[in-house]
Amino acid sequence: MKFYFALWLAKIIGAAINLVSRDRGTNLPGEKALVVDPNFVKNFKNIDYSKVVFITGTNGKSSTTNLVAHILKENGKKIISNLEGANLLSGIATILAKESTLTGKLKVDYYIFETDERYLPLVYEQLPAENMLITNLQKDQVQRNGDPDFIYRKLKEVINPQMTLILNNEEPRSRSFEEIAGRSVYYGVQHHDESFTKGSDYPTQACPKCHHDLSFDYYNVDSIGPFYCAHCGYASEKTPEYVVTDINFTEKTFRLKGVKCNMPYDLPFMFYNYAGALAICQEICDISPEQAAQAFNNFKNIGGRFEVLKYKAKTIKYMRIKQENPDTLQSALNIMASDQEEKMVALGLYTLVDFVPHYANTFYAFDCDFKPLIDSKVERYLCFSEHVSYDTANRLIYEGVAKADITIMDSDNIKEIFAEIDKAKTNNIYLITWISTFEKMKKFIEGGQN
Amino acid sequence: MDKTLKIGWLFPNTFSLHGDRGNILAIRAEGVRRGYRVEIDQINLDTKEFNPLDYDFIFCPPGEIVHFEAVIAFLKPHREAFITFIENHPMLVTGTSIGVFGKKINRNDKTIINGLGLIGLEVNENHAVYGDDLYYICEYNGNKMEIIGNQIQMMDADINEESPFGYLKYGYGNTGKTKFEGAKSGKAIFTNTLGPLLVCNPWLTEEIMNLIETNKELPVWEEKRDNSLEVNSLKTKVALIEKKESRLISVDER
Repeated sequence: MKFYFALWLAKIIGAAINLVSRDRGTNLPGEKALVVDPNFVKNFKNIDYSKVVFITGTNGKSSTTNLVAHILKENGKKIISNLEGANLLSGIATILAKESTLTGKLKVDYYIFETDERYLPLVYEQLPAENMLITNLQKDQVQRNGDPDFIYRKLKEVINPQMTLILNNEEPRSRSFEEIAGRSVYYGVQHHDESFTKGSDYPTQACPKCHHDLSFDYYNVDSIGPFYCAHCGYASEKTPEYVVTDINFTEKTFRLKGVKCNMPYDLPFMFYNYAGALAICQEICDISPEQAAQAFNNFKNIGGRFEVLKYKAKTIKYMRIKQENPDTLQSALNIMASDQEEKMVALGLYTLVDFVPHYANTFYAFDCDFKPLIDSKVERYLCFSEHVSYDTANRLIYEGVAKADITIMDSDNIKEIFAEIDKAKTNNIYLITWISTFEKMKKFIEGGQN
Repeated sequence: MDKTLKIGWLFPNTFSLHGDRGNILAIRAEGVRRGYRVEIDQINLDTKEFNPLDYDFIFCPPGEIVHFEAVIAFLKPHREAFITFIENHPMLVTGTSIGVFGKKINRNDKTIINGLGLIGLEVNENHAVYGDDLYYICEYNGNKMEIIGNQIQMMDADINEESPFGYLKYGYGNTGKTKFEGAKSGKAIFTNTLGPLLVCNPWLTEEIMNLIETNKELPVWEEKRDNSLEVNSLKTKVALIEKKESRLISVDER
């Protein structure tokens, strides 16, 4: 009976939120339902766990979830998914409550859930999915997650021989879960024009099996690429079953299992999401790459990390990085470096303000290779953002940038940022900052400051 | 006089968590500024010939505890050499790796890893992670200084009878309950300060380099580095510390 009260309460709250705004409160109905019935998710009646897929990992889980959901819908499948990124138990509870009948019955083909890697054991306890894709396990949000092994252990609590895992072939930590899973399917990306290497003084990582050093032939995305351990032989497969090949940046196409697909986003970190999504579709949902290919023609990613603004005669290319995450910063640096036109780089790494205590951490920037960016015709650097601008500038200085080529602004003042942008001779501006500052900059432009 | 400085970088790939490579860049830059040739040796689990006494400075970055047993097994034959080394030579050990050089690492699954026992501290793995700024006063090579940095605390350090490296002005430090930050033994620094500590605090880098020069009987470089950028960085981060909300027991109440 508790379950029904919880369900009806969630439905009423969900309907009320919908009346106010469709964009708000993605977690609230589930949160309240879980207070009434702590086993709320477990108590849904007819979920076939072999049709449930979790998509977890450090980077790429939202995009992969969005893409899988899109492909399945385009192929006529009825699915439930948490597309708005509500990836905790309460978010999943919310969407299940919304999609179920008044008696808690669900009638869908597949459940595709993005799940926060840190809280996966809590979700799994109530919803024992039999399929899981792990995108990668990287350094991320260290204030919460500490180190990758902390998250590795969380996932290990859940993975069992009844599970099918879809694993990134070229990411050593997540690939190593093959030892526990009943069945593993691998996906990867072939070498492409934006694959890169890093100098020998950039650390790689420890082999998750024997602790010795891992070597990477090259990286497709920071910390991800064909790897091997000379000590124990642990290595990525040369040709995984689902591999994105023939990436053509001019035509914006790629191939997988010989099937040509349009490439809606030509950013290197998306290639792994394409491969992983196609692997799920075929292996779990029986949608072949041929059937999936057409869905790439009209895929729009929700909450993408790249936006372009027009400001006076200038084009501002904004790249949103994840806080405390060297891999997304490296991807952004590589994108800037690949543009050989004259450019101004505005770097607003920022104080961490997710929860108390806020703190001034930019140390992840020392894991990133700035050299290709510095060699790519940068007219001027602007290091801004209160409390961290000097450290950001110092990172550039240690990479060889002259102090005189950097403007340091210990502030997030929008007008001052635009005043510096105005001073640039080039119209080609790259911007990295947190979403809040970016939104203010966007409003500034929309407010007629053009 | 030997104008080459030899830096030993322990386990750069096995232990790499928080942009710790910045410390190597800082020590190298300071050495080069003083006109030395700086050689950096990366020591890993496959290194065949390792002798701590071959180096002028050794840096051990923080690592995941899962790798500790392999690292300790590698270092164990060199324990006595390390004891001799830190009597006079600078060594910097940061973050979790403090545990490697201490007596015991008590994991939260109740297992125990025995450390090298170079210093009489014990560490206890925490169930939750604590991340924050870290601000303290310390003395190194006879000079008092302020240090600013970050801390991602995966385990508490009980330093027992050992001397702390620093006295907190703000931050969690060793346990969140004392005023102590890190520990020191001989010329070795064991600190919770992560990331590019020597980049953000070049005054410590200078003292390490002064000590290296003294050890090598080289004249101590007198031309001071321009630290204005780092001083500004310290000031703005202290301003953040002074205004921000904190749930720590205040240092004065510890």
